[in-house]
Amino acid sequence: MSATVAPAKGLEFLPVLEKKFGEKVTALEGLAADVPTLVTDAASLHEAARFLRDDPAAAYDLFLDLASADLSRLPGPQAPKAGERFQANYILYSTKRNEHLRLKVNLPEKDPSVPTLTDVWPASNWFEREAWDLMGIDFKGHPNQKRLLTHGGFVGHALRKDYDAKQRWLCTEEDLLQTELAAQTDEPADMFETTTLNFGPSQPATHGTLRIVMRLDGETIVGAESECGYLHRCFEKMSEAHTYSQVFPYTDRLNYCSPMLNNNGYARAIESMLGVTPPPRALAVRTILGEFSRVMDHLVCLAANLVDIGGLTSFWYAFQPREEIYGLLEACSGARLTVSYGRVGGLANDVPENFVPWAREIIKGTRERLGDVETLVTRNKIVWNRLRDTGVVTKEQALAWGWTGPCLRASGVPFDLRKDQPYEWYGEVDFDVPIMTEGDNYARYLVRVEEMKQSLRIIEQILDKLPGGPVRSDDYRVILPPKEMVYNEMEALIYHFKLVFEGVKVPPGEIYSATEGANGELGFSVVSDGSGFPYRLKVRPPCFPLFASFEKIIKGHPVADAVATLGLLNIIAGELDR
Amino acid sequence: MAAKVVTLKVPETTFAESIYLVEIAKGLARTFGHFWKNLTNMKGLPTIQYPEMLRKYSARFRGRHILKKREDDTLKCVACYMCETACPAECIHIEAGEHPVLAYEKYPTVFEIDLLRCVYCGYCVDACPKDAIWMTRDYELSFFDRKGAVLGIPELTEKPSDTAAGGPGYGYRPYEGESPMKKAGQFEPSGLPLLPALAERGMAINRMPPPPPPKPPAAAPAAKAG
Repeated sequence: MSATVAPAKGLEFLPVLEKKFGEKVTALEGLAADVPTLVTDAASLHEAARFLRDDPAAAYDLFLDLASADLSRLPGPQAPKAGERFQANYILYSTKRNEHLRLKVNLPEKDPSVPTLTDVWPASNWFEREAWDLMGIDFKGHPNQKRLLTHGGFVGHALRKDYDAKQRWLCTEEDLLQTELAAQTDEPADMFETTTLNFGPSQPATHGTLRIVMRLDGETIVGAESECGYLHRCFEKMSEAHTYSQVFPYTDRLNYCSPMLNNNGYARAIESMLGVTPPPRALAVRTILGEFSRVMDHLVCLAANLVDIGGLTSFWYAFQPREEIYGLLEACSGARLTVSYGRVGGLANDVPENFVPWAREIIKGTRERLGDVETLVTRNKIVWNRLRDTGVVTKEQALAWGWTGPCLRASGVPFDLRKDQPYEWYGEVDFDVPIMTEGDNYARYLVRVEEMKQSLRIIEQILDKLPGGPVRSDDYRVILPPKEMVYNEMEALIYHFKLVFEGVKVPPGEIYSATEGANGELGFSVVSDGSGFPYRLKVRPPCFPLFASFEKIIKGHPVADAVATLGLLNIIAGELDR
Repeated sequence: MAAKVVTLKVPETTFAESIYLVEIAKGLARTFGHFWKNLTNMKGLPTIQYPEMLRKYSARFRGRHILKKREDDTLKCVACYMCETACPAECIHIEAGEHPVLAYEKYPTVFEIDLLRCVYCGYCVDACPKDAIWMTRDYELSFFDRKGAVLGIPELTEKPSDTAAGGPGYGYRPYEGESPMKKAGQFEPSGLPLLPALAERGMAINRMPPPPPPKPPAAAPAAKAG
């Protein structure tokens, strides 16, 4: 078992980089070899970032994640150098070369600060705010460095290792984060009076606890600021206090519309670190249920959005297949929503006997209901008037804002991890990646509808060749042995006790592992210190950059369009706030 | 880059679509089709009339927990703290005592599950090395106060009412190996296929109160004596 997954590939631009920066930017070999890693210092970070974005041989056009870490408690060779403590890991992706890159900056214990990258990749804005909020890294020159996930009455930075997780901070009315817009009084501007509209956090049309403060001129939004954190429940901090397998129930609650996809993503990250491959049947079932979850997620997104713009009937038709898929998930895992079906090294249990015919029935039913929705909606002129040419995001904007998933594909970038870096069973099946170039709400609708059809295609193909055999790895260092062995064999009982009490021992190292979630790239950055507990776990929620750019999309459009846009971006508060 | 990328096109508006009426008629045809289908086949309606009817869950459903007993009516639990350790929500509290029967060694003097903290993940069942804790399909859990939600040994050893009588039955149980339920003779087809009528597919249990069974007059004193 080793942490090295794939050796750092020869990066073509490295010689140019070395010539330009010399010792300041170096390629890292060794522990972190999951994605190519460059190490730089805070002073040359900005220049290096600009080079990585602009150099045609590098072309890292997509800013994916900023995973900060507090290394102060790491033992042995992983321990930071004297005086150093923090680390900022920028995860970048090049859509041209289909390659990830980690840009690592080591930071001192006192006043850790780096220059902001918001002018290089606008997407880094909220990620930097989050790192400031939770890790206390100062981003020099950041346009709006305020707390994001915690409230104004919060003291300290929660993800630092010396922060006591049992502390509680009371949020009084004065501590509520007041955005600049909300603080403004209603004054006449030009000849019309503008007003402030507080939209959310408990607004039916937000479908989650999101808050947007809008400045309105009549019906038109002239300024907007969005705010999140109302559903923040310290997923990352809690993970550090739980064993690797105990984190599964927490991942269910990230994107609660497609919990199985989160299970898959997390399991894949940990399995890659361990070097364990689950049996083919487990991977096949994961892919099937993951694709069903994707269908569910898209159905919820479309149905809820259609209700928002006034079409209730389609909502009933779209929710019917979702209900049936929940039934199937329940028969497999034991719960409809909080499935917790994934395990490190396989699945919790085999699928029920009638899984294949049942799944086929669901596919048939889903196609029928999807047909109903399409009949009512796709060529409906009212829908067209509401969705077409509203919420338009160009290809360049979408990339700059760090978008992934169906929303990016609706803007014309064919980036889909299932196709570009196949995992599970996606390499074995034939499916298309639908894209559109319009980038408006209607494009997001159509792409989602087509993706559901492709998902059903994937499921059908895997059902045809669903392999037999076990669904759990026989490596009992990572997964609990079957009960029959535990009751009768000493070794199995010892493995069982050690796994429950100490957890899966993941070798020291770090990883960035990404899967295609329902809303885009779901990434897990994990740092392991060799114990049974994750040292640091950072999720890259696909909704996060989507919601961060929402305020920019709706500027200059009526409120009604903002509602339609919000619905089709599909912001899931559980994963946004973690 | 992706091998197969399909660029979707926005469909063109036809004249018939731009005048609304034809499309409205088409849409109404679709909804009235559903209306007629449902009207003529009320049993096939996907709606479950909860509380009168209850959704039938699979034999893996993770509901309220249950402590299992040995044949001699003592608890199987040996108070090893495995479930307490495995619980991600920290909702189990155990205190161990010495069992009067020497062979059983230990037993729990206190075994409490706080159902308000529990996330029903089933990890306690997976962690138990003695097959002592299972889950049931009982999910209608409501309490008058927080204390009522903390279940002790007496509440946890209650058997779930049996499925035939409209009760939930056993749910999640440990992974034993290949197709464990079939092996244990406990496999219940959990299938609720999509299309057949509700009553046929056994998706829901009708909970309307069953007629009271006739009481044999002599039964009560006999039971007391026994």
